[in-house]
Amino acid sequence: MAIKKKFPYKAAFVACNGGCRAKDCRYGCIGCGTCVSACRFGAITLNEYGAAEVDEEKCIGCGMCARACPQGIISVHQSACNIAVKCSNGDKGPEARKQCEVSCIGCGICERTCTAGAIKVKDNCAVIDEEYCLSCGMCAVKCPRGVIRDLRGILTPKN
Amino acid sequence: MSTFVVNGQTVTAEKNKKLLRFLRDDLGLTSVKDGCSEGACGACTVIIDGVTCKACVPDTDRLEGRNIVTVEGLSDWEKEMYTFAYGEAGAVQCGFCIPGMVMCTKALLDKNPDPTEAEMRHAIRNNYCRCTGYVKIIAAIRLAAQIKRTGVIPEPSNDDWKIGSCVHRVDVEEKVLGTGKYPDDYYMEGMLYGSALRSKYPRARVLSIDTSAARALPGVAAVLTAEDIPGENKIGHLKHDQYTLIPVGGLVHYLGDAIALVAAEDRETLEKAKKLIKVEYEVLPAIHNIQEAGAAGAPKVFDEEKDNICAYKHISRGDAEGEISRAKHVISRHFETPWTEHAFLEPECAVSYIDQDGDVFIYSTDQSAHQTLHECCMVLGTDKVKVQNALVGGGFGGKEDMTVQHHAALLTYVTRRPVKVKLTRAESLLVHPKRHHFEMDFTMGCDENGIIKGVKAKVYTDTGAFASLGGPVLERACTHAAGPYNYQNFEIEGTAYYTNNPPAGAFRGFGVTQTCFATESLLNMMADEIGITPWEIRYRNAIRPGQVLPNGQIVDESTGLVETLEAIKPYYDEAIAAGKPVGLGCAMKNAGVGVGIPDTGRVKLIVGDDGKVHIFSGASCIGQGLGTVLVQMMVSNTDLTRDDIVYERSNTWISPDSGTTSGSRQTLITGEACRRACEKLMEDRRAGLSLQQMKGRVYYGEYLAKTDPLGADVPNPVSHVAYGYATQLCILDKKTGRVEHMIAAHDVGKAVNPLSCEGQIEGGVVMSMGYALREKYPIDDNCKPIEKYGSLGLFRAHELPEITALVIDKPGLKVACGAIGIGEITSIPTAPAIADAYYRLDGERRYSLPLCNTPYERRG
Repeated sequence: MAIKKKFPYKAAFVACNGGCRAKDCRYGCIGCGTCVSACRFGAITLNEYGAAEVDEEKCIGCGMCARACPQGIISVHQSACNIAVKCSNGDKGPEARKQCEVSCIGCGICERTCTAGAIKVKDNCAVIDEEYCLSCGMCAVKCPRGVIRDLRGILTPKN
Repeated sequence: MSTFVVNGQTVTAEKNKKLLRFLRDDLGLTSVKDGCSEGACGACTVIIDGVTCKACVPDTDRLEGRNIVTVEGLSDWEKEMYTFAYGEAGAVQCGFCIPGMVMCTKALLDKNPDPTEAEMRHAIRNNYCRCTGYVKIIAAIRLAAQIKRTGVIPEPSNDDWKIGSCVHRVDVEEKVLGTGKYPDDYYMEGMLYGSALRSKYPRARVLSIDTSAARALPGVAAVLTAEDIPGENKIGHLKHDQYTLIPVGGLVHYLGDAIALVAAEDRETLEKAKKLIKVEYEVLPAIHNIQEAGAAGAPKVFDEEKDNICAYKHISRGDAEGEISRAKHVISRHFETPWTEHAFLEPECAVSYIDQDGDVFIYSTDQSAHQTLHECCMVLGTDKVKVQNALVGGGFGGKEDMTVQHHAALLTYVTRRPVKVKLTRAESLLVHPKRHHFEMDFTMGCDENGIIKGVKAKVYTDTGAFASLGGPVLERACTHAAGPYNYQNFEIEGTAYYTNNPPAGAFRGFGVTQTCFATESLLNMMADEIGITPWEIRYRNAIRPGQVLPNGQIVDESTGLVETLEAIKPYYDEAIAAGKPVGLGCAMKNAGVGVGIPDTGRVKLIVGDDGKVHIFSGASCIGQGLGTVLVQMMVSNTDLTRDDIVYERSNTWISPDSGTTSGSRQTLITGEACRRACEKLMEDRRAGLSLQQMKGRVYYGEYLAKTDPLGADVPNPVSHVAYGYATQLCILDKKTGRVEHMIAAHDVGKAVNPLSCEGQIEGGVVMSMGYALREKYPIDDNCKPIEKYGSLGLFRAHELPEITALVIDKPGLKVACGAIGIGEITSIPTAPAIADAYYRLDGERRYSLPLCNTPYERRG
């Protein structure tokens, strides 16, 4: 379906990268596929780990998936902000670490690294404020858990 | 280890390091500029697999198989295209951000040949430019897109190099292609890396320094302390109170004070060595602000001073108090303005070595090579020093003081080896002097018609850890606080206090940015009280040729405040008719140092063996375009063409001292010196000599801008040889509460290059939009600046409103072909104009900057 997108482009973003890498995380993607069905543009699939992933080329940022997600981990973000925190785990570091191979443990390295003051650990999980983010990816290359990703796949693998 | 492609060549990075370091240090690709190494500035932007990426972020080990392009890797056609587009649009000023911007342009146009305005802005949104306000960079992208689509590079729209022509600047190509060298781009055989160990505390006494472990570390070439300084330890512009190194027993004044200097074979060893130096301190309570500095019995910042007062000024003319007491309308308010960081794109760097004459030779980024020479000679205790200006990546006043030059010189002097000293961005934010924080109490009295009867004020400034230009800044703040209006009763008292904060000194506007906010805000309030518009109150009071300024000076025929008000009027009326919230501000700013201080421009025109005339002047181009101004000045005042002329960067052994690039003075002062040298050259030309016959001849021009000192016993002292005038208008979008349009009308005398002039205006307006709306430089309890480069609040390309620069070309001045400086005034009336627009939007008067309760205020 060809829909003319409005600039600046927006797209849905799934704040979880765990899938089969997660053991007993109650926050992340459960691979239920609700979002996949909700999307009218075929923009969401389950990736090789079984976690929902958005194809930003196809996504128009309508937000249907975000409303449908039972875990509440999908949001609509600025496509130009290609650095994103792919985790929603709100548990403290040691528990979060046990629950998933790619979970945010709230260590705060990203917060200390960020030149723009754009990333903060809130409720044990890093959150980027896209208004201030300069998309440099320094947090992504410094993240010891591989939680922060470059959605373009340059500075880090996409997932 | 990893293998990838850079500009078409397969390369292998043996040791893992940041891509930026690999490209610059290993491959010599110095178009990739190191502006912060923390992901903020964007000067190191390269293209990786078709998308832009800041080279300081990725490790080489993560880049296996990637394809990387830098400016050096562009095709010849692309190089020509971007050089033309950026030159034609006037997008190049200091040039430090430009290679990164070119990479963003290429990445955009390779995917999208016909981008919209919003797409162009987004393409450079993660790259900062502090000079241009992005307007002309976006114009360059638009033009490049057009050229790329048509496949044809047109002829320049202006190729007549006379004054008034919008020619491409002389330094466009070297800045677009990244071939021009800033100090950091010099790499020398056997070059050491130097750095200073800085104080751990803002106020403390140094009890001992143990450098033995650092000296013993392999790869360390020197560890120096105050004892190793052969000359004077204390340097500075006027007051010598800036320590090169704090001696044992000495007092530390702020966290940026250097205690020891290290030179090592590589950067890693350097950092290790600094950590091995043991310093024992007696920690003392610090002075954090003006109130603490002025309190009775306050601890002293300087052992040498009797109190914490750095400077005190009292200026009085007429009877301000009496007139105010008799005035029908009187308004008094307290105002505050914040510290501001210059945030020039190029951090401070100096490279020094011993040259063939045995002299210490310094490549410097500064606002006066001769000032650098003078201060380095003092430190070394010898005059066997030479200074060469490399390209200067922005200054705005922040590169007037010694930061790295004297340290590099000292390390070279001792080691006899080349040394590079470069500040990290965090050091730069801490070390160089900032814009002063001001606290001000102003009272204005007007009659029933809104005619100003008198103004009385007290201002207090925090000048931080050493004097720098704190005294002159205070003086200029006081002399210009009266505003560009015709009244005769004015009194102001100003005090600058030392504190243990980072130092404050020169910053575009030189104190006037602060006091103008107070005066103009009062005038806007007064207009409401009287029931006339802010435009009308200014028009009634505006200084006109032949009238007397509050400082007693009779203004000349070039005075064009009224013309700037009239130029703004149609925009003002239209916005008001459309029901939009608008705000106005006016300003005046001197060109030239003035107030009786010797202010001399000097230019030597030397006909070289190449049969061309080389312009030598000890005047730094810090991005404003002085070289272009001087070439245009020459073409207008001789029978030579552009191709006969070569502009040489300032140095100290051929170029005569033409003063600091400060006080918006170079176009006027050095421009006039150049015109005078041209007169001499033309005597030979008129005698029929060809350039070949003139080889080896030197034509010297000098111009002393003579002024009267403050308080001179004459009825109408000439405080400054020239003033620029401006009116700026801010129009808000009622729905979003954001700035919709800024219109800036500037009386510049004769515009030498109107395109460059617009660039100055746009850049100044955007810089002061930051000052008005967002930029902060908070300092914590340990007197440490909190923000990093990316969180200072500098405006980004996608956030900008429409900006219209109106260049009012009003002749009149008899020097420099009528040109008046434009550098500083562009930033002065912006903040009060924006503040008044917000009052018109929401009814809230704001008396401090950055303005609160606007959509630009930072969350969290």
